[in-house]
Parts: sequence; C-alpha cells; structure tokens
Amino acid sequence: MAAPGLSAYLILAALVFTIGLFGVLTRRNAIGILLGIELMLNAVNINLVAFARFEADLAGLVFTLFVIAITVAEVGVGLAIVIAIFRVRRTVDADHLNLLRG
Amino acid sequence: MIAFALEIGVGALMLLVFIATLVARGDDRRWVGWLAAAGTLALTLLALPLSPAPAQLGGAFVQDGLALFAKRLFLAATFIGLLGGLSLPGRPFLRRAGEYHILVLASLLGMLVLASARDLVLLFVAFELMSIPLYILAGFAKREAGAVEAALKFFLVGSVSSAVMAYGLSFVYGAVRTTSLAGVAKAMPDGDGLLILGLLAVFGGFGFKIAAFPFHMWVPDTYEAAPTPFVAWLSVTPKAAGFVALFRVYFEGMGTAVSFWVPVAAGLATLTIVAGNLMALPQQNAKRLLAYSGIAHIGYMLVGFAATSASGTAMVLFYLVAYVFGNMGAFLVVEAVARSEGSEHLAAFRGLAQRSPLLALAMLLFLLSLGGIPFVAGFWAKLYVFWAAATAGLYWLVLLGALLTVVALFYYLIVAKRMYIEAPPATTRVPLEPMLALAVLLCALGVVILGVYPKPLVMAALRVAAPLF
Repeated sequence: MAAPGLSAYLILAALVFTIGLFGVLTRRNAIGILLGIELMLNAVNINLVAFARFEADLAGLVFTLFVIAITVAEVGVGLAIVIAIFRVRRTVDADHLNLLRG
Repeated sequence: MIAFALEIGVGALMLLVFIATLVARGDDRRWVGWLAAAGTLALTLLALPLSPAPAQLGGAFVQDGLALFAKRLFLAATFIGLLGGLSLPGRPFLRRAGEYHILVLASLLGMLVLASARDLVLLFVAFELMSIPLYILAGFAKREAGAVEAALKFFLVGSVSSAVMAYGLSFVYGAVRTTSLAGVAKAMPDGDGLLILGLLAVFGGFGFKIAAFPFHMWVPDTYEAAPTPFVAWLSVTPKAAGFVALFRVYFEGMGTAVSFWVPVAAGLATLTIVAGNLMALPQQNAKRLLAYSGIAHIGYMLVGFAATSASGTAMVLFYLVAYVFGNMGAFLVVEAVARSEGSEHLAAFRGLAQRSPLLALAMLLFLLSLGGIPFVAGFWAKLYVFWAAATAGLYWLVLLGALLTVVALFYYLIVAKRMYIEAPPATTRVPLEPMLALAVLLCALGVVILGVYPKPLVMAALRVAAPLF
C-alpha cells in the first residue's frame, strides 16, 4: 500500500479543525469550548508538519514549535479566566454568563 | 543593535517594574505605575530622533519608516493610557499595580515587534504577545462578575480568531514554502488558490483584532466591563498595530497584485460602517456608545485600506493618529465622570458644562473630532480617507461613508446636548485627578493641533507609506 500523500494530511487537519470549530460553536461549557480551540490549533500543527515533511523545509517544524508554545500560554490564560469566573459565579456554562447585554 | 533599541528598552522597563514590585511594601503599590509611565515617556522621546535601520535577522525584522511611525504612535498612546490609569481606585489596582503595568508593557512589546515583523513566525508570535496580556487585563478586577465574564468572552473570541489566523498562516507557508513575507509577496501575482485561501483566513484573524464587522461582538461587552483607562488604550493601540500588520502582509512588495484585496476590504468596510453606526444609535451607556462608534471608525479606516494605494495607506496612518487622540480622550473623560457619578450612563453627563466647563469642552472637542467636524483632527482624517478612496474610483463607498457620518454626528451630538443643554443634577464640580487631567489635556492638544495644522503629519505618513508599493 502506498504511503499517504500530502493531501491526506491536509484533509485530516481540515477535519480536526472543523471538529474543533464545531465544538467551539455548539458547546455551552467553557472548558468544552477551550478543548475546541485546542483542536483547532492542533490542526494547524498537522498542516505545518505535513508541509514541512513534503516540501523538505525546516521552517515549518520551527513554526510548529512556536505554535505549540503559544497554544500552551493561551490555554493557560484561558483556564485561569475560567477558574476566576467559577469563583465569582459558581458556573462555567456560557448560557448563564449573560450579565453584559445591549 | 540600534534596530532593536525600543524593544530592548521596553523589555528592560518590564524587568525594572517587576523588580520594583518585588521590593514594594505596603498596600498601595501604585507608585510602580509612575515608573512604568516615566519609562514609557522616556522611550517615546528616545523614539522621536531614531532613523530607519537596515533589516535584521535575515530580513525578518525591519526598522523602516512605517515601523518607526507606528512605534512612536504606540509608545505615545501607551504613555497617555498609563497616565490615565495611574490613579485608578480600588483594591486590585492598589495591591496589584505591578502586574497591571507589566502586562501593559508586555502587550506594548508585542505591538512594537509586530510593526517590524516581515516573517510569518515572528508575526504570529508578536501578534500573540500583544493579545494574550489583553485578555488578562480585561479581567483584571477578578472579583467582579462583569469583568471576568468580559475577559472570558474576549479570550474565547480572540483565541478562536488566533486559531483561524494560524490555520491561514499554515496554508500560506505551504503555498510559498518560506516563512518570509517577501516570499509571499513574490508568489502573490501567480494567485495560487492555497495562498489566497490562507491569506483570506489570516484577514479574518486580523478582522477580529481590529474589530471589523462581523467579528466585532466582543467589543461592547469587553469595553463596558473592563477598567476604563485600559479600555481607552485597548480601543486604539492594538487596532493601530493590527492595521500596520495588515499593510505589511497585504501591501508591502505586492505590486499590482494588491488590487485583489479591493473587494474584500471594500465589502468589510461597508458592513462595518453600517453596522457600527446603526448599533451605536440606541446605546445609553457611554462606553458601549463609544465601542460601537469605534467599530464604525474601523470601517472608515478600511475605506482607506480598500484604496490599496500609497496615499490610502498614508491616510489610514493619519486617521489612526487622529483616532488615538480623539477616542482615548473621550474614554478618559468618561472615566473622570464615572468616577465622580458612579455611573457610565449618558445621564451622568447632564449639565457637565455648568459643573466642569473645561472637561465638557474637552469632551466636545473629542466628540467633534470623532464626528468629523472641520478644524479638529477627525475632519481631516475622514476627508483624506474619502479622498484616497475616490482617487481609487470607489465612489459608492465614499458616498455611503459620508451618509453614515451624518448618522454618527447624531449620536455624538446627543452626548453634547446632555452636557450643554440639560440641567445638572448637582452643582458641584466633577473632581479630576491631576494625572487623568494631564492625559485628557494631551489628547485635547493632539486633536486641536492636528486639526489646525495637519500638514507635517500628512507629509510624514505619505513618506513612510510610499515604499510599500
């Protein structure tokens, strides 16, 4: 069996990205939304690594490392905000977070 | 090394504020804020005589005229923003003043690097360095339900947009096989589908950050609940940084291929101007009103962007400077009134002209500038942007923008009517902290000077924009 080509990886990444975006849009729980964002950023990594592998270019791998580091920083801040919100409101459900309107 | 002088300076200032926070004793640590503000002022003055330097890091970091123009603007705006926030009352700002200022400086560092980035990786890292501290700052009063909720909304929308942008960047990289923006510009005329798709996704990511419709929904909530001096700064500097990055990615070195972006930018501009102005009309909270009016202003800047010419770019730069002074000033007056009246409702402005004539006059100047009345900065900004768009043949966009300027004037003048015509609820003066007053004065001076004598800044903007095309 032939090894999968570049387009197979791109389709996989597009699937992961779409699942993440779907999660962000439909989940009501803030942690669930965070997981969706994580999936979207990991789709980026799959893309970058696939391009780097098939174009034999190292820059994509370096880019991936930066994306991973930034994802961690971002999710760290996100979890901190979720914890702060839970302390004040005792809920992390997006439907109950509706103080600001208009 | 001279090319990195400002970035190193801001980094050193962060360290200094950090050490000062460690040695600070007692419950009121706001004095570290003075250190941050003084340092930013020193860096602003240092930035003025700097001249362009050769590209560094293999062309990834450029210190050209555009970068310097933008960096001076970011530093000056941050100085005014810090000045306005020095006397913030409330426990979080007393005890955790060090954190507040380090985060502002970290975000400023991200903006400075972003203005110079000519490489996809550096661009993305700088973009995130600018954005992540903003999420924390929005929820800085972490015991207040509204503030943390605003921070969560801002974070979720911001990080989804970052993910979309990173996804787009990965396609751009895949299409051109290099992370250098010069390589992207070279590949653009071929119009590779993957490259176009990637650049469109990146445009969406930037759209969130500059708050263009339909990516604007975080703006009013975040502005309403976050501390006002921070909002004054948030409403202008990250947007200015976003526009500079847009120019770098979509214009620099692309030649005639820039015309591809005309329909994209013109469409976004139309939606943003219409949506921002119409949604501002029914607002009764001063911060929400300014939030929606700010969205409309982003639309006017996109009109200049849609001109895709050197003069259009220069006029957006001029608009950004006028917008920095006008919008920051208006938010700082809202802060002064809200601190005295305990409310950001428009009713708090009733009879302000009788209570504090100078404060009311300053607010009137800012509103007139935002509305685009002659002889204050905003008038020239709008005129120049429309002129650039008309030169590029976008007459319908100019007509639409001019029509909605009238709508905008209506809601700005409602605030003016409250200040000048309605009777005041009390006769006492609105107390004004000296540093907040100084920040308002600086903004008012900027608006008036640019309104009376805009020529030097217009010339400077034209000079720095010309090499992009």
